[in-house]
Amino acid sequence: MESLTNMEEIELKKIAFKIRKNVVRMIKAGDAGHVGGALSIAEMLAALYFKIMKVDPNNPAWRERDRLVLSAGHKCLALYAVLADRGFFDEKILDTYGALGSKLPGHPDMYKLPGLESNTGALGHGLSIAGGMALGLKMDGVDSKVYVIMGDGELAEGSNWEAAAAASHHKLDNLLVFVDRNTLQISGRTVEVMSYEPLDKRWESFGWRVREINGHDLKQIMEAATSVPFEKGKPSVIIANTVKSKGLSFAEDRADYHYWKATPEELQIAERELEDIERGLKQ
Amino acid sequence: MSEAKDPRKVFGEALVEVGEKNPDVLAISADSSSGSGLSPFKEKFPSRHLEFGIMEQGIIGFASGLATTGKIPFVVAIAPFVTARPFEMFRNDLGYMRQNVKVVGRCAGLTYSTLGPTHQSLEDVAIIRTIPGVVVINPGDPVDIKKATHALAAHKGPAYMKIGSPKMPVLNKEDYDYEIGKGVVLKEGNDVTIIGTGTVLSKAYFASELLEKEGIHARLINLHTLKPIDRTLIIKAARETGRIVTVEEHYLHGGLGGAVAEVLALEHPCPMRMIGVDDQFASNGPYEELLGIYGLQPEQIAETVKKFVT
Repeated sequence: MESLTNMEEIELKKIAFKIRKNVVRMIKAGDAGHVGGALSIAEMLAALYFKIMKVDPNNPAWRERDRLVLSAGHKCLALYAVLADRGFFDEKILDTYGALGSKLPGHPDMYKLPGLESNTGALGHGLSIAGGMALGLKMDGVDSKVYVIMGDGELAEGSNWEAAAAASHHKLDNLLVFVDRNTLQISGRTVEVMSYEPLDKRWESFGWRVREINGHDLKQIMEAATSVPFEKGKPSVIIANTVKSKGLSFAEDRADYHYWKATPEELQIAERELEDIERGLKQ
Repeated sequence: MSEAKDPRKVFGEALVEVGEKNPDVLAISADSSSGSGLSPFKEKFPSRHLEFGIMEQGIIGFASGLATTGKIPFVVAIAPFVTARPFEMFRNDLGYMRQNVKVVGRCAGLTYSTLGPTHQSLEDVAIIRTIPGVVVINPGDPVDIKKATHALAAHKGPAYMKIGSPKMPVLNKEDYDYEIGKGVVLKEGNDVTIIGTGTVLSKAYFASELLEKEGIHARLINLHTLKPIDRTLIIKAARETGRIVTVEEHYLHGGLGGAVAEVLALEHPCPMRMIGVDDQFASNGPYEELLGIYGLQPEQIAETVKKFVT
């Protein structure tokens, strides 16, 4: 297990902030986008790409790298933002979001930009793909980890549970899933639309080891993610409790901001709020 | 003509050969290893034979992820369960992600004749060939199966191959040059062209022999690759023989007949007949009798061709 110093935590907070700022920047460029789930994973991505994962922006195909599969592909605005910040591609590309033939489709395409490991968007695919990666790496004795970010609404796809069983059966202890439990999906509260609670017990019963954290607390993310595997021979899952659209007061914890068709007024408020946060971070 | 051979056994032996040549080749089973001909591979390379149980959506995703690490997974199971059921996984995780995975649907077509439509696969070619970049192979005899298995292991990219289960007679020469995407003229003739594929290529072959006795010289083409399709050979046949008959153990729409018609309608319109299963869930019963319901026995094929040319 590794911890963050206070200074390191502040640095990561700035990165998470920058992710949020760039998510809003892309939505401004494209007029609309999946904002809620992108903003709820900003801290996880900041910690993963700047502290936890072995990656090399100059050699994105490096065999020994750690991999991240964004199973909930609609959260990709946050992934685009963190990859740009980490140096995988020029940040100016972010301004092309929504344009014809842009390298930033609304769900990621691994052949359009370096650093993307899979083409996701249809839910319930990422865990199987990540499981295959983890298995292949293990077979070859490569000491790399595979990280997956899933949504809590996504867990209703049955294919996830096929993958969960297989990952456990094949003892993929190099696999770590973050469930972004922001408790909302398009139609409302996840527990009301289709409940998969108690989540921890469900994952445990599939042979996984589970931890629950505050998904916006960078120290908790760092400590949990660097303790993998939680038990040797078993895959790990972190249930990260988060707030959908975290950072935008008018959109936080609201299902109708799953996909945001941004009005000029809202964009103004968003930019003002982000400026306030930025000022706070500088102090 | 040499002895008929079990297609699954031929495939399983070929997979061992490619496995010997390339340590990245894996076999992936969904609780149907021995029925899929994988037993010799499992015996020879136990650590490269991965069992997943009855999980046909999951195995396509796992195969995709394995391929990203350089592995060459051969996913083998009952045809509808690796095509119709996990179609979106095939489309996105293999096609859209361009992963080097070979999916083999066995006991395809009407093979599971007595088990009924849930286990029959009459739409696999139609749906899988809509996926950009996926090669679709339907070998016509044991020689094709062996050569296709080797060719697929060497080909970089996603592919689907279907095989049946009843024994298949040898029709091709053992030493012929197999190339993905290139059809083979098995018999010359200029009165009409019969294009056959897969399990019923032999029926088309025997039909052409019956026709020969009646003085009808049919050209016979083995179209073992349905995607990419051999446009040149099809257009040449249409130009030189003026009539085309397709023979397949598949629905009439979307399969061989549909694919050939797509080429000809745009590039060289020509009268056609299509033999296969029309728009219905097929019946059940003994395999050979079932083929007879859909006009796929040699005498029936010959009769259809005869009516067409005279």
